[in-house]
Amino acid sequence: MARIVVIGAGFSGLAAALRLRQLNHEVTLVAKGVGGLQLSQGTVDILGYAPEWVQAPFKSFAAFIEANPDHPYATIGTQPVKRGLTWLSDLLPGLVVGDMEKNVCLPTPVGAMRPTALYQPSMASGVLTKGKSYAIVGFNQLKDFSPEFCAANLTRTPLPTGGSVTATAYRIDLEVAPGEADSSALRYARALDDRPEFRTRLADAVKTVIGPEDIVGLPACLGLDDPTIHIDLAQAIGRPVFEIPLLPPGVPGMRINEALMRALRKAGARLVLGSFITGFEASAGSIVSVTVQQAGHDRELPADIVVYAPGGFESGALTLDSAGKISERTFDLPLTGTNAADLVTGDYWHDQALFKVGVRTDSTMRALGPDGAPVYGNLYAVGSILSGATRWAEKSGEGIALGSAFAAVNAIGGGK
Amino acid sequence: MLEVDSYEHNVLARASLDHCVKCTICETQCPVMRVTPLFSGPKYVGPQAERYRHGESVDHSLDYCSSCGTCTLVCPQGVKIAELNSVARAAMKRDHMPLRDQIISRTTLLGTVMTPVAPIANAVLKFKPARIVAEKTVGIHRDAAMPTAQLTTFTSWFKRHTPSTTPTRGKIIFFHGCAGKYFEVDTAVKAVEVLEHIGYEVVVPKQGCCGMPLQSNGIFDAARKSVRTLAGQLQAGPAGVPIVSTAASCAGMIRHEAREIMGVTDDALIEAGSRTYDISEFLLGLADKGELPLDDLKRIDTEVCYHAPCQLKGQGMGTPAVQLLQLIPGVSVVESGATCCGIAGTYGLKKEKFDVGQAVGKPLFDKVKEVNPELAVCDTETCRWQIRNATGAQVVHPIAFIHEAYGLGKATEPKAGSV
Repeated sequence: MARIVVIGAGFSGLAAALRLRQLNHEVTLVAKGVGGLQLSQGTVDILGYAPEWVQAPFKSFAAFIEANPDHPYATIGTQPVKRGLTWLSDLLPGLVVGDMEKNVCLPTPVGAMRPTALYQPSMASGVLTKGKSYAIVGFNQLKDFSPEFCAANLTRTPLPTGGSVTATAYRIDLEVAPGEADSSALRYARALDDRPEFRTRLADAVKTVIGPEDIVGLPACLGLDDPTIHIDLAQAIGRPVFEIPLLPPGVPGMRINEALMRALRKAGARLVLGSFITGFEASAGSIVSVTVQQAGHDRELPADIVVYAPGGFESGALTLDSAGKISERTFDLPLTGTNAADLVTGDYWHDQALFKVGVRTDSTMRALGPDGAPVYGNLYAVGSILSGATRWAEKSGEGIALGSAFAAVNAIGGGK
Repeated sequence: MLEVDSYEHNVLARASLDHCVKCTICETQCPVMRVTPLFSGPKYVGPQAERYRHGESVDHSLDYCSSCGTCTLVCPQGVKIAELNSVARAAMKRDHMPLRDQIISRTTLLGTVMTPVAPIANAVLKFKPARIVAEKTVGIHRDAAMPTAQLTTFTSWFKRHTPSTTPTRGKIIFFHGCAGKYFEVDTAVKAVEVLEHIGYEVVVPKQGCCGMPLQSNGIFDAARKSVRTLAGQLQAGPAGVPIVSTAASCAGMIRHEAREIMGVTDDALIEAGSRTYDISEFLLGLADKGELPLDDLKRIDTEVCYHAPCQLKGQGMGTPAVQLLQLIPGVSVVESGATCCGIAGTYGLKKEKFDVGQAVGKPLFDKVKEVNPELAVCDTETCRWQIRNATGAQVVHPIAFIHEAYGLGKATEPKAGSV
C-alpha cells in the first residue's frame, strides 16, 4: 500500500483516486474547488473529429496517432482508454451507456450535432436517427434553452452519417414557483427530484402541446439525484423522451461528479477540498511531500506517489503571463509547445496552438523534462494538463482523462 | 474610525473577485439559494455586486447569506466570495445593528448569566410562552435550538480535576471556546481527559470569546477586540506548544477568519493561529506519525452519521474526524454528504431566517434519521444544537467516541456538569 496524493477533482483526478483506492492504496485527494465535471456535458467523448467526423473511435486511433504523434493518445495507447471506459461503465451503469466502438450523434442546445461515445441513459433516445421526427420542447422560464434555435438547426443540418431529421419547436409554461420567471436547469432538476406532482405537470404540459413527432427532446434538467425521471416522463407522455445538455453548470455533469464523489467517500479516500497545493519537497529525484494550504498553518502531506490532475488553463494550472511566458503552477513542470509562432490566432475555428501547450509524459504518465527523462520518478500527470491535444475540437477530453488515469494506475499497480 | 470603514484590509479579498470566471459552480452548491429566493446567490451578491459597492451596501439580500463559506470552498478559482459578503454585510448593518444581533453574539455574557441559575434558565428556554415573548420582542425564533446551561463551568471542573496519568509528552494548550466553558462542558472535559490519557500535560490559560458570533453578525469592532484579547491570552500559555481545540469554528476564527474577514494581522494572532489545531486534526496527525496508541482503542459497535461543519471544512484540513473515528474498531462512519445544517452560528436562530435554516438543514436531518436516529456526530457546538433540535438525536463531538474507546467513559453519557 502506497501513500498516494491525487491533486485535482476533475474527471481524471476522481477516476485515478477512486481506482487507486479500490486497489487498496491510501489515497488523499486534494482539490481547490469542485472539479470541471459539472462544467461538462455529462457524456464521454473519446475521439469525435480527426478532423473529419469519426464513426469508430478506436478503429481511427492508429491513423489519428500517426497524424498527431505528439497527442496524449500516442503515449497512452488504446488499452488504458478502453480499460478506463469499461471501469466507468461498470461503476455507473445508471449514468453511462453506449458502445465505445461507435460514436453517436447527439444534439447540442444550439441544434448542432455532436459526436460522443458514451452518454447517459436519459440521452439515449436523443441519438439522432435518419428519418425520425423530434419534438423539441423548451420552457418559457428556462432562458438557457431556445427550442426554436435548436429545432431549426437540427432540421437544416444533414446527419454526419447521411440523411436528415426533422425537428419542431414547442414551448410550455412551467413555473418552478409561482411567478418565477427565470429558473436555472438545476432548479428544475431539484423540483423534479423532490416533487412528484411537478413531474406530472411537466408531462401533462408536454403532452398537450406536441404534435405527432416520434421522440420528445427536453432541456437537461430531468432530476439530479434521480436520473430515471425520463422513464416516468416517457411513460406519461407516450413517446421516448431525452434530454439535451445545456450551458454549464450542467445537470448531467453534476450527476457524474456527485456519483464519483460519493463513491470516493464510501471507498475511504481522504478528501481535502478547498485547498491549493503551495509547494513540495523532493529528494533523490522523487517527491516526498506536498504542502497543502490550510488555515493558520500549511500542512506537509507525505507522499510515496503523486498523481497530478490539475486541469489546464481553465483551472489556472497553466498560466500565461503578460510577457507571454506560460508556466505550470505547482511543480513548475517543463512545458512543450510554448514556442509556437502563433499561440492564438484570430480565426476562432483555426487550430489554436495554445491549447496544445502542456506536460509531456512517458507511457506510464510520468512527467518528462526536456531531456526525455522523468522530472520526478513518482510524479504522474493526467488529464487536461497533458500536451498535444485540442480537446474541444477533437472531442477527446474524457477519453484522454480516463485513459491517462488508467495508464498511471496501471504503472503504479495494486497495493497489498 | 472603524477598520471596516476603510476597506483597506479587504484589498486581497476584493482583488480575488477578478478571478471569477462566472462558472457558477458556487451557485450550484449554495445551500441558501437552493431553498429561498430571498438570497440572490453567491456569484451575484459576491464578486458581481462587490465591484460596484465602493464601501456601501444597498443590496439587502446579502443579509440572507448565512456565511457558511461553501461558495469560497467550492470555487475553483480562489475567489473569496463569503469573505466579500461578510465585509459587505458589516458595512450594511453599521448604523442600524439590531439589538437582537448585539445580544446573541455575546456568548460569554449569556454563559455568565445562565450558569449560576442553570435549571431556571433551561426551564425558561423550554417554556413556550417565554419563547413567544422572546420572538416578538427580541426576534429569536420560538422553535430555534438553544444551548443547555450547565451547573458547572469547564474551568471550575478543570481546576478541581486530577490528571489520570503522569505526563510523558510535554505540555499542550487546550482552547475550549465559550460553548466549551459554559454549555458543552462535557465535550471539553472529555477532550482534556483524552489528551491527559495519551500523556499530555494540559494547560488551560484564561480565555475569553474569539469574537466569531460578533463577526458573523457584522459587529467587527467588538469582534476584533475579542480576538486580539484571546490571542494574547493564548500566548500567555507555554510558548510554542500546540493549541488544540474542540471548538472548530472558534479555532477557525483564530486561524484565518479574523485576518481574512476583519483584516486583523497582529503578530500575536498570526502566531497563535499558526499552532492552533482542531482536536481530530491533531490526533489524526499523531496517528499518521504512529504516535497515537491505537492498540488501546476498545471496540464500539455502532454506525453513526458524521456531519462536517462548514466552518471546519473551510479551514482546508479535509474531514479528519472521519478517519479518526474509523481507527476505533467497530465504528462505521457515514458522512452526511450534506452542505450545511442551517444554523450557521446564529443565523438559524433569527425569526426571519429560521425557516430558511430549517430548509437548508433538511437533507442533513433526513440523513441523520436514516443512518442512526439515536446518535450522530458533529464537531461544532451550534451545529450539534441545531441537529439535536431538528432530529431528536443525541449529537456528540467526535472526541466523545475516542474518550469511550480509551475506556474513559461512555460517548452518550455526560462526564461532568450536566443538569
